[in-house]
Amino acid sequence: MQTTTTPAYLSRERQVSWRKRAFFRKKVVPWLFVLPILTINVVVVLGPALSAGYYALTDWSGIGSANFIGLDNFRRIITEDSSYRGAFVNNLLWLCMFLTVPIAMALVGASVLAPVRRGALFFRMTLFVPYVLPSVIVANLWRSLLDPDRGIIGWLNDRGVPGTDIALLGRQSTVLPTIAFIDNWHWWGFLMVLFLAAMQNIPPDLYEAARLDGANRWNEFRDVTLPGIRPVLVFMILMTGIWSFLTFDYIWILTQGGPAGASEVLSILVYKNAFQTFQAGYASAIGLTMSFFVGIIICIFIVLRRRGWEI
Amino acid sequence: MRTFVQRRNPLTLLLVILLLTLPASIAGRAALAQDDATIEFWLDTTGGADTANCIIDNVINPFNEQSESIQVRATLQANGWDATRTALAGGAGPDVVVTPGPSFAYELAQAGQLMPLDDFAEEYGWSESFTPWALQLGIVNDQLYSIPSEVETLVLYYNATLFEENGWTPPTTLEELMALAEEIDAAGIIPFAHSNAEWRPANEWFVGEFLNHGAGPDLVYQALTGEVQWTDPAFVSALEMLNEMQQNDWFMGGLDRYYTTQTATTYAMLAEGEAAMKIEGTWAVTDMNTYFGEEAGNANEWGWVPVPSSSGEAIYDIGIGSTYSINQNTESPEAVAEFLTHLFSPEVQATLAVECGQVPAPVEIPAEALEGLDPRYADIIDQMNTASDAGDYGYTTWTFWPPRSDVYIYEEVERVWSGDITVEEYLQGLQTVFDEELQAGEIPPIPER
Repeated sequence: MQTTTTPAYLSRERQVSWRKRAFFRKKVVPWLFVLPILTINVVVVLGPALSAGYYALTDWSGIGSANFIGLDNFRRIITEDSSYRGAFVNNLLWLCMFLTVPIAMALVGASVLAPVRRGALFFRMTLFVPYVLPSVIVANLWRSLLDPDRGIIGWLNDRGVPGTDIALLGRQSTVLPTIAFIDNWHWWGFLMVLFLAAMQNIPPDLYEAARLDGANRWNEFRDVTLPGIRPVLVFMILMTGIWSFLTFDYIWILTQGGPAGASEVLSILVYKNAFQTFQAGYASAIGLTMSFFVGIIICIFIVLRRRGWEI
Repeated sequence: MRTFVQRRNPLTLLLVILLLTLPASIAGRAALAQDDATIEFWLDTTGGADTANCIIDNVINPFNEQSESIQVRATLQANGWDATRTALAGGAGPDVVVTPGPSFAYELAQAGQLMPLDDFAEEYGWSESFTPWALQLGIVNDQLYSIPSEVETLVLYYNATLFEENGWTPPTTLEELMALAEEIDAAGIIPFAHSNAEWRPANEWFVGEFLNHGAGPDLVYQALTGEVQWTDPAFVSALEMLNEMQQNDWFMGGLDRYYTTQTATTYAMLAEGEAAMKIEGTWAVTDMNTYFGEEAGNANEWGWVPVPSSSGEAIYDIGIGSTYSINQNTESPEAVAEFLTHLFSPEVQATLAVECGQVPAPVEIPAEALEGLDPRYADIIDQMNTASDAGDYGYTTWTFWPPRSDVYIYEEVERVWSGDITVEEYLQGLQTVFDEELQAGEIPPIPER
């Protein structure tokens, strides 16, 4: 065990010197290690974050000077902008979809694959590969597959399969779930690999004990597996919540928020306002509200943790 | 006897030589700085690098070879506009500033990032080579800041072979267009090969065409200058007609197909006779030639007519695909102006059109300079120039509407087509946004009629 007590056998002079060195080693050196990354973060994260806070209070076009307009951008968000409300609702729907479907799929997939020994690597790689594909490739791949005239859907349609004569990305009622499905296809394999790694850290004795107590497969999953992977599970729920409010790429590539705003989310609004309509100040205000919602999610987790939840 | 040089330290000798040659060196460098200039020109490659490389081969390299004092350094840039805007904000960027249109150049000029061009325009006689309305588009606060390039218009392309087989005649009025579309639809053929899957702003092509050709460009001019409202009944009935087309599933066979069909598929269906017509810009000519003809696997021909209007008169809505300006921070404004004069000369613009398929700038190009160009395309350019010289032109939304109104036009019209709002509500919303931009003085320059 390390101690900070000054060795008594040293002379008084050397004790002072030793204390100085100890202070430097314990208080200064760690900061020197952190300093490079801290500097980068201050420049590329804190700086833009603070400037976004400032620009949210201006009418900045994104080019040239900015005029201070107080809280007018936030007033506009709350009272005028119906597209903001629509986008926020879509973000909530997206959050619900991603807190349930991919996590459930990943849990089931990991549970099924955990005991597999022969060909385990093949299955894991196959399910993980979509995660490493660039989003633009995945999006365009699925866009082609879902083409009602030329893709798989079109092939099924030609063979008279009912319900296949529709363009899923072209209808207001189906566009958001369809993009979520595509995003989920690339995402859930990553979750599964994480859960699988966590499951393999659970001591086999626990399963053996559960079986001796008469537990079936479901009981084992509920009472041994889930508690065993809880830190990973909860962390991924937290990250999914955060990422759901930041989602952008698949929606932008596939529909740019259309048709008729049916797939518009807050990040799309930020982009359009900042880069298409020269309202960078207003875009900053929307961005700040996104940070606020993400902050709420993080606060919920902090509160639960302080109340003793093991997360 | 040791000489002076031998007696002195070699280092001293070197110093003496340096001191003797320094003035000459400084003078030489000053002369170079005055006479020789290297200017930076970024070429956008978002749609592929072919056109950019063609411009380098046919314009920039010959210019560099013939010029004794100016060298143009061409850099290929993906997402050229975003890169340019970011660089300009940081006080850097290319010497030749290219934007996607007058409204973008307007924003840069307002922010003091562009250099006024009036003196260069006078020195190099730009007003004589450009068509009368063209340079007006670049005026901000009574000063010229940008030169328009790539003058575009929209026409009605059609499958001429299909029309001939079915005895259909290309329409000249909107009523004829509606009647013909109904007939084509009844024959089991898609009337219009339209889609916005790869370019969502494609919506604005149709809104703009129906506003100009249904209500007339004079009324559009009055609305753009704030004299009449966008809720005028003439605009309402024009967009009702467009909405009727969408509700009849005439665009690609249905709204969902309109939102999802790939652009290549629309051309293929038009060329193969699965669709009959297509309202699109002059930029589509290259694709029309790619998808029609024996090399493409069909024996069909394409034809074009002006987009029909309510009066039956030929109207060409003018659009500007890009603008050119000089960076406020350039070290060689004279050199950039000289290069721009070369670039916008009729000969170079003709070369760009013939060799690179580039839509020419609004300069007077002699017909003989366009030899080698597809005769149908040359005809479009000729007709459009004649119409614009006579003042018979309309206004494309991406050139003459301010940014927020423009985005509103192509995004919110989808709510009309989906039935969420009426045409009147849509136009009322446009009026609200437009009024805000009008009050803020953000309307791009509108040439007087």
